[in-house]
Amino acid sequence: MNRLDIQPFIRLRGIVAALVVTIAALAVAEPAAAATPAEAFVSQNVQKGLTILNNHSISDTQRRAEFRDFLTSLTDIRRIALFTLGAARRTAAPADVDAFINAFRDYAVAVYESRLNQYAGQFLRVTGSTEVGPGDDVVQTILVDPNGKSNGEQPIEVDFRVIQDNGHYVVVDVSIAGVWLGQEEREQFSSFLQQNNNNLPSLTQHLQQLAAQVRAGGGQQQQQH
Amino acid sequence: MRKSWAALTMALGLVVGGCATATNTSSQAQTDPGDPLEGWNRQVFAMNETFDHAVLKPTAQAYVAVIPEPARNGVHNFLTNLDAPVTFANDLLQGEVDLAGQTAGRFGLNATLGLGGLIDVATPAGLPYHSSDFGQTLGVWGVGDDPYLVVPLLGPTNPRDLTGYAADTFMDPLNYVGIRDYTYWAIGRGGAEILDTRARNIDTLDELEEGSVDLYASTRSLYRQYRKAHIQHGKTNVKDLPPM
Repeated sequence: MNRLDIQPFIRLRGIVAALVVTIAALAVAEPAAAATPAEAFVSQNVQKGLTILNNHSISDTQRRAEFRDFLTSLTDIRRIALFTLGAARRTAAPADVDAFINAFRDYAVAVYESRLNQYAGQFLRVTGSTEVGPGDDVVQTILVDPNGKSNGEQPIEVDFRVIQDNGHYVVVDVSIAGVWLGQEEREQFSSFLQQNNNNLPSLTQHLQQLAAQVRAGGGQQQQQH
Repeated sequence: MRKSWAALTMALGLVVGGCATATNTSSQAQTDPGDPLEGWNRQVFAMNETFDHAVLKPTAQAYVAVIPEPARNGVHNFLTNLDAPVTFANDLLQGEVDLAGQTAGRFGLNATLGLGGLIDVATPAGLPYHSSDFGQTLGVWGVGDDPYLVVPLLGPTNPRDLTGYAADTFMDPLNYVGIRDYTYWAIGRGGAEILDTRARNIDTLDELEEGSVDLYASTRSLYRQYRKAHIQHGKTNVKDLPPM
């Protein structure tokens, strides 16, 4: 076969290659099945949180303020706080419960910022969802490192429990590698109250101290990926 | 010696499991039905924390400061690859044939192209890492995780996982290869695994300790949830989720 005859094949191969790459890109960009409303909510909104944490061009104070606004708009902090209180929410005085909720809000912002900081710069990819009940879903995502570093570990699965509240979605719990943070908080708060005579103001004060400590320590922790 | 140590650990697991219904030694009210030995567990937990702060954490911090990351990654990859035969056996026992295939592939690739396991060539080749252990296998077969236990040095566990830990030692073919001075090898490997794990979790554990109102209860919750997720192979069982 002389050189002139193979030119059309080379061109055709080039066209086919371009087509394959385009189809592959489209397949990656658009999921095969349409996202459910809960999945769309998570993929559109949660990534914003990681982006805020990754923004080191603004001051720590400003970043913290932005993350706080983001967290309070995305989650139902009151519902989460009451969940973590467990049985004590029925026996404690309403004023004590309100003080606890405020302290919990500060604590949650500080702790979640600290724990999620190590994932800043990564991307969340929604992989599916499971219905828990009507208007109650668990959306599964995985954290993808854009630099492709895996360090030999499995990609981390992060699940979001989202609930429909008056027509809009809120996040009520997060699980990282199978561990639900809300459940962990409930277990430690219940244990603390049992060890401290069910003294809710004592727990509230402890949370305020912890929030301050975590915030103070947060400036020193710049995670390396 | 290796088999008698493993047998002792298994016996300890079974005995403690049997003692689960015995009277709680603590005078404090029990906070958790899955933790009837809470009083004893808290004491051992405190002891482990003291040892960690005094010895293990500083050693891990020195390790991180002195040994460069590529070398530490090499150590981690090597140790992880040594665990592959046990993972493979447990994958099969759990009926996870695809996972077993991945494990075998990982072991083969990493041992050869990965220079004896120092380099993880399998993950970029499309064989992701996972681990399987006999405690997890027992969980898959239906054995429950109560009562919660904290044991010296090993930390959080339960009779099922403790038995599993001993069984994995029996199952590990590397414990039967004729290694001269086997005791030193076993201690060296065990020590390296502890150091490697501690070094990779310095910041995570610091954050946990910093943000926790009750570190004992936090650790208990994390351990139990993590093991349950491991047994379910990461699939969310929505029936277990509490109402919110």
